[in-house]
Amino acid sequence: MTNHDATLEWPDGRSRTIEVREDETILEAAERNDIGLPFGCRTGACGTCTGRLLEGAADDALAHRRRPRALKDRHLADGYVLLCLASPRADCRIAVGSSVHTELVDNPWK
Amino acid sequence: MSDASTSGDVEPGHDHEHHHEGPGYATPQAAIEESEREQLAYVMSLYVGTDVDAPDFVAVVDLDPDSETYCEIVDRVEMPERGDELHHFGWNACSSSCHVDGLERRHLIVPGQRSSRIHVLDAADRRNPELETVIEPEDVFEYDLSAPHTVHCIPDGQILISMLGDADGELPGGFLELNEDFEIEGRWEPPGEIEMNYDYWYQPRQNVMVSTEWAAPKTYYPGFDLEDVEAGNYGRKIHFWDWEDGTVEQTIDLGEEGQIPLEVRFLHTPESTHGFVGTALSSNMFHFFYDVDADEYRAEKVIDFEAREHEDWDMPVPGLTTDILISMDDRYLFGSNWLHGDVWMYDVSDPSNPRRADSLSVGGTFGEVQEVRGRELAGGPQMLQLSLDGERLYWTTSLFSSWDDQFYPEEAERGSVMLKADVDPRTGTMELDEDFLVDWGDCPAGPARAHEIRWPDGDCTSDVWQ
Repeated sequence: MTNHDATLEWPDGRSRTIEVREDETILEAAERNDIGLPFGCRTGACGTCTGRLLEGAADDALAHRRRPRALKDRHLADGYVLLCLASPRADCRIAVGSSVHTELVDNPWK
Repeated sequence: MSDASTSGDVEPGHDHEHHHEGPGYATPQAAIEESEREQLAYVMSLYVGTDVDAPDFVAVVDLDPDSETYCEIVDRVEMPERGDELHHFGWNACSSSCHVDGLERRHLIVPGQRSSRIHVLDAADRRNPELETVIEPEDVFEYDLSAPHTVHCIPDGQILISMLGDADGELPGGFLELNEDFEIEGRWEPPGEIEMNYDYWYQPRQNVMVSTEWAAPKTYYPGFDLEDVEAGNYGRKIHFWDWEDGTVEQTIDLGEEGQIPLEVRFLHTPESTHGFVGTALSSNMFHFFYDVDADEYRAEKVIDFEAREHEDWDMPVPGLTTDILISMDDRYLFGSNWLHGDVWMYDVSDPSNPRRADSLSVGGTFGEVQEVRGRELAGGPQMLQLSLDGERLYWTTSLFSSWDDQFYPEEAERGSVMLKADVDPRTGTMELDEDFLVDWGDCPAGPARAHEIRWPDGDCTSDVWQ
């Protein structure tokens, strides 16, 4: 089984690099390493676990196990990924933490 | 149309009080007269979606003014896993089962909105409830349902939960039924009766249930996106069901003025066919009732909250009417306009002509009061609960974690609060209790959000009468 390095980067500047197997999700690997990341439904519907790929094309670096239903086309085009479904296909750097999820939608009245 | 009109099927001479043996109260009036003042509240409390790496919990709040721990969270029942988004919850039994000997109002059914995990708490010790059973999400998904919302006990000891999505978080939703041993009994309704689901209420004596519509979980979970409104991904219909058969008899499309119908309540009087539904996005209140002549239900807009201009915002801001409740005596309708920051009170003695009684402007985007006991408020009034005697109204400030983040991002940093108003039902007035504050900003693991409120012995948003 191929492993890849995933570097998780938080908004406060903290970062952790963990080894992730191709058959496990970033969220599962983080849990195996005792790293607490936000998550909710674990089925790709809620977007609570959203991360953002910091370099490279999302399709090359990560594969979603199933359709990430919480993400719209515009989000996928901007490099957003669901960490409960995403497994690495290459080494990658990912922005994590709850603030990534809040970027998905704005206050429409403001 | 007469007030509290009946539609037949009521046993003549049926006197419920003579065989009252089970949980709850024989009548709504008995709940008012026989209940004691609320001493404790159970409040859904959550960390989901934040960087606080801790599970959601049920807070036990001390509401006894004579207690040394008044206004404090005196116990916290932590869920076994993270990621739940505790939201709405309910009892295993309420006044609808007051004829069932041996049944107790003892177990709290506590679903995770995002996780679809269903927890059962034993609250025999009211100050120290304990986790008893957990139904895992995989067991729920087997019935092609997810996103549990409203929990009501049904009159024979079983429990019914509205489910907003299928196993993948898409439409349609449906209803999950649990048996008395808190095992999944199955789907309550034939699949395909409705697309969207949200809240529901039933009047067993009229053999009717009404249900409302939010959206597919995948639509509302990530946050509120106007694109979804334009695409028709949010609900605007209410459904009237045959309670015995579990089938939809009638659907009313509330139209543009009825977008996102959320909380729905029949009057407490068991014979009544009148009720109200608040439409969150349109910020209107609809009165619905059974029209005897037409032999069907009708819904009419009776309160309209206008959007308000804000100098820093591009578009007029809707009130976002997110919660409503009816006082136990069926006289007042209370509600919260979460974005504006209003708690309001209407006299609904004549339900087709509500009369504004009073309102409080507190928290939210426009609230006149922006701090209580020196504590800055981070959000608008949201989930409401009223004392059974109708004299104390309480509310919390969190709507849904991802929606909070959009409209009140400070809620995550400061946590939610619980506030209270003293209500005078005789004069129809409310006064903010400036001494009352429960602060979720002080929780040990970090600031938490607070959502639905329940009393240990029945409340205005859970008890139904058979």
